[in-house]
Amino acid sequence: MVVEGLLYTKEHEWARVEGDTATIGITDYAQEMLGEIVFVELPVVGKEFQSHDEMAVVESTKAASDIYSPVKGKVVQVNSELESKPELINEDCYKMGWICRLEIADRKSVETLMDSKQYEEYLEGL
Amino acid sequence: MLGQCVAIPVLSENTLDFGTIFLTVKVLLFVEQGGEQLMDEKSSGKFEFERPNAAPFGSVLYQEHLKLTDKSHMAPFAGYLMPLWYSSISAEHKAVRQTAGIFDCTHMGVFEVAGADAVGFLNSVTTNQFNDLKLGSSRYSYILDAAGNVLDDIIAYRRAPDKFMLVVNAVNVPKMKAYFEGLRNDEIVIDADKPDRRLEHRPAMCDMSGSNAAGDCRVDIALQGPKSMDVLFALSRRKTFATHIADLEPFQFVDQDIQGVECLISRTGYTGAKIGFEFFVHPGTAPQLWQLILHKAKPLGLVPCGLGARDSLRIEAGLPLYGNELAGEFNISPFEAGYGWAVKLQKEFFIGKAAMEQTARTYDMKVARVDLPGAKGIRPVRKKDGVLNRDGKSIGWVLSCAKAGDRQFALVYIGRESVKENDSVGIYYLARSQIQIQQGRRQSVQKGENLDADIVGTVVSRFAKF
Repeated sequence: MVVEGLLYTKEHEWARVEGDTATIGITDYAQEMLGEIVFVELPVVGKEFQSHDEMAVVESTKAASDIYSPVKGKVVQVNSELESKPELINEDCYKMGWICRLEIADRKSVETLMDSKQYEEYLEGL
Repeated sequence: MLGQCVAIPVLSENTLDFGTIFLTVKVLLFVEQGGEQLMDEKSSGKFEFERPNAAPFGSVLYQEHLKLTDKSHMAPFAGYLMPLWYSSISAEHKAVRQTAGIFDCTHMGVFEVAGADAVGFLNSVTTNQFNDLKLGSSRYSYILDAAGNVLDDIIAYRRAPDKFMLVVNAVNVPKMKAYFEGLRNDEIVIDADKPDRRLEHRPAMCDMSGSNAAGDCRVDIALQGPKSMDVLFALSRRKTFATHIADLEPFQFVDQDIQGVECLISRTGYTGAKIGFEFFVHPGTAPQLWQLILHKAKPLGLVPCGLGARDSLRIEAGLPLYGNELAGEFNISPFEAGYGWAVKLQKEFFIGKAAMEQTARTYDMKVARVDLPGAKGIRPVRKKDGVLNRDGKSIGWVLSCAKAGDRQFALVYIGRESVKENDSVGIYYLARSQIQIQQGRRQSVQKGENLDADIVGTVVSRFAKF
């Protein structure tokens, strides 16, 4: 499932851009591939990331995967609920399973992301 | 993000170690279609083999899997495309502990050893002894090279006084084919001290798992869990069938017909379930039996289970996986794995005996099972993580770990005298990401180092039955 209005990376992160902030998570395709997610290591509030910087780690019963920052920015909020309920990513990856919010430092870094249609085409090619 | 997976233990048996089954000094090539090339290391008695690299293909149940799960849940394993899970690993694990599960094990290797020499052959080529094995019974054993390296762990089923069915690990099938072939052609050193020694026994051998429709071909489908006997009863109303099944003791088997499908039904398995069966059927009838069981047993709560649950169940039960708790990078011996009883040193001869005598006297590591907290939100323990004693001193490494409900169970490789049952042990998580490396978390742990435990568990019995 791909949601319209979000932006996507080739590494299967999504970003919801609202004004100067971007909410970040992983896509339905990613959570499907990982299986049951049992642990999430969240970034620290205040930390600054370039696009493609590793910002978090998601571990499922079978794999540990890095999450890369889709945009350049500073972490302003994290979804602490994931610390005790990592399964929210499996259950609702685009809403309850969000990982963190960034204050966008460089609008240009947003322009390189795919829209939902481009991401769907990208998935079909995998 | 998916390109960055750092650990997929369920696949490690073949993908991560693909082509490096042994640390090779000298590489032996095996070309599957003719042109077999065999070389043996005369001096050490070590048998070396490099797995042929071929694109994975679906098992005989591939179409059945696609009816039950998304293609994205299929992964390459031992040359086959196999389901990792259908619903979820934890749901499938739970079903096998509470009701029953069915597993596609048709990728396992099945060989026949037949002829007057069959018992002598198994006595020489494997570590256990087969003289007193009754008809309709099976026995666990090891195949070693002359240097004592474990080539595979097997179960041999006695189908007639002179006829056995050998079940070998899927990942080892090409290697074992090459080894058996080499033995038959006197191309393999069987006694490191006497390189000229020749195998006395030459029974007929064939691969039974192929789909040669004319022959007695067999592939494995497993049915495991407390309700599996009830599932079997639901499959046939014949009173004699029920009696035969109910009478089976662990490791016994019987030939029975299930709604027209000829089956060898064995009370064996790889899940730690007290009640569990394996069906050895012709590859052509495997889909039919699979459908029958699923259809009849769904009301009883049976679910299909993938490789993920197969791995987590065997880990929870303490059963070794070839390449992890046996052989593998630590070259773990049967004694260290907790199976010294399957190595009969009193036998006059078996391949690898001299090395095993030495190992039995000197081994100083062991495999142990550790019970750890495993609720959601707790970082999973993974292969290679450090194992610490109460003083924080590293005593070894994690070999495998799996979640079971709110616990996780680790099989660890630690100093033989380092800890006992009920002792607490700590685990040090290795770095899983660049961020953690930058924070100073280590990427490997050496024995004897002092570290702080990230999570604490308890050493429990080596094996568990459910």
